[in-house]
Amino acid sequence: MATVTFDAATRIYPKSDRAAVDALDLEVEDGELLVLVGPSGCGKTTTLRMLAGLEHVDDGAIRIDGKDVVNLAPRDRDIAMVFQNYALYPHMNVAQNMGFALRMAGKSKAEIGERVRSAARILDIEDYLERKPGQLSGGQRQRVAMGRAIVREPRVFLMDEPLSNLDAKLRVATRAEIAALQRNLGVTTLYVTHDQVEAMTMGDRVAVMKDGLLQQCDTPRALYEDPINAFVAGFIGSPPMNLVEGVVEPGGVRLGSAVVPLGDGVPSLPGTAIIVGLRPESLWLASGDEGILATVSIVEELGAEAFVYAQLVDPNRVADGLNVKGNIIARVDPSTAPGNGDVIRLGVKEGSVLFFDAKTGDRLRRRGE
Amino acid sequence: MTLQRRYVIQAVGLAVLLLFTVFFFIPIVWLFLAPTKTDGQLLTQSPFALGSLHTLTQTFHRVITYSGHSVLIWLKNSAIYSFGGTALAVVAAIPAGYGLALTQFIGRRLLLSITLVVMIMPATALVLPLFLEINKLGLYGTIWSLILPFGFFPFGVYLAYIYFSSTIPKDLLAAARIDGAGEWAVFRYIALPLARPIVALVGFFAFVASWNNFFLPFVMTYDSSQYPLQVGLQQLIGSTASFNPANFSAGSSIVVLHRPDLAMAVIVAIAPVLIVFLFAQRALVSGMLAGATKE
Repeated sequence: MATVTFDAATRIYPKSDRAAVDALDLEVEDGELLVLVGPSGCGKTTTLRMLAGLEHVDDGAIRIDGKDVVNLAPRDRDIAMVFQNYALYPHMNVAQNMGFALRMAGKSKAEIGERVRSAARILDIEDYLERKPGQLSGGQRQRVAMGRAIVREPRVFLMDEPLSNLDAKLRVATRAEIAALQRNLGVTTLYVTHDQVEAMTMGDRVAVMKDGLLQQCDTPRALYEDPINAFVAGFIGSPPMNLVEGVVEPGGVRLGSAVVPLGDGVPSLPGTAIIVGLRPESLWLASGDEGILATVSIVEELGAEAFVYAQLVDPNRVADGLNVKGNIIARVDPSTAPGNGDVIRLGVKEGSVLFFDAKTGDRLRRRGE
Repeated sequence: MTLQRRYVIQAVGLAVLLLFTVFFFIPIVWLFLAPTKTDGQLLTQSPFALGSLHTLTQTFHRVITYSGHSVLIWLKNSAIYSFGGTALAVVAAIPAGYGLALTQFIGRRLLLSITLVVMIMPATALVLPLFLEINKLGLYGTIWSLILPFGFFPFGVYLAYIYFSSTIPKDLLAAARIDGAGEWAVFRYIALPLARPIVALVGFFAFVASWNNFFLPFVMTYDSSQYPLQVGLQQLIGSTASFNPANFSAGSSIVVLHRPDLAMAVIVAIAPVLIVFLFAQRALVSGMLAGATKE
């Protein structure tokens, strides 16, 4: 059991002028499963490898249980890692793979055998102990990689996108298994993924990174409801939050044909641009003269819900890259879903709108928010 | 393109290939047929005529018993020099290639460049300075004068470097380091067992290079009893009557060899390389890395 602290930890790759991880401050509590999430190149895997000792730390400190490990070799850190590609030793069978760390630690054959069997029992891979990795399916290899980590009973687990090579169905099942296993074992875990759904479903807390900088670290619910900036708002949630740029007028901000009232205390001058953040579930199909006029591009029917992708009539510029081809996405009841090409009016649920500075992307908060 | 024209092009292509095949096979076929014939038959009969088994055994006997079974002594010498040299070359080249490919240290790039440069230097260029060095060390005339130089095998280092840098996933070594393995253990327990194909390949090339080497043993040995087979072959040529008519006037007491005997000696000289190749080839084609990482 252990705590992990990143204290202004920085990594600058040779021949690069930008830090891959820039003065990261992060605390992982004892027994916690903390998920690092972000787009490719955001520095999440580098962060993990810095903790593992596979990546040099250029500045700052990384502490496990208060002790700086920056100058320790990987083998002296008492950590176990599950790699994205599993990195199983191809010339060893499953039992030898799982027991390798114990063998390196000089444990007796009897103890290694006992601990390997017990870990294999937990992961339900007892039948494959004599097989080589090449004879296993992707899912089985993933379990062996997990087994190799848990058999050591380390202070910290590191997981680098361990599910990304599994098919969608297996990924969902394994996701729940790993989360349950981590909770049972109670080992402090740092988990890296680019998949925000994985992050939200597994993490006790989720740290969102972008361009080497930590954006926000909080519980999944807090990230969803109270994002610190437009990036976090757009990254967390599926489908993503609609981020629409509008111009402030007296009485609110104009979005296409409608004016959305600004919250009390949101600092904004008439004529300035502002980003309005609308979750798909904050929009509803309005009738009469209410709401924002939009033309339906496509409707995705998912059974319990339907997503309407619509273009604003008299559109404002929709913030780049965060939404699908300039569409605004609304979640509606499938029984009332409009048809393709229909002109609809989208109402906005009061109090559910977030505002962001158009230049910096920072959140503009209402008074008391 | 009409069908007919395509057939013509194919036929011409086939004919060219066939011509080259015949061109390169004729010397080999001739070599293997020559020991079955007597010297006279070799001159008068068609190059592809098959002699007799009786002649073949006689030729073999003459070669083996030449000058007190010298050929067997040379074979033994060649084997000692080649296996010793190969062992040293493998022991030096495999860890060197691994180090250059998968570890970080100051001067790594420089060493790699030097390896490439010395690889293209002809080995014979170094024979004279090597001779002086070996002589100074007092090793001239010992087997070490022919084994130690093979510890320097840049081609093997380069092959090992290419293999390690292209086929062993870096994560595999990272996993071992996290699992508590030190640098030596990572090499010993992870990289080396996965390097069997390259050990076989480097070993094979080192063996062939040492076995076929002529100039180095020619310089480093002074007595017929120390010769490896390649240098011995030269002595055999000197004992072949038709190449040295002046030495073998009627009534000379020197053992006389003939051209078919030389062909037999050459076959004896290349046979071990073929045998070693058969063993190395098995290890070369093993798919050791299957299932290491998910591609």
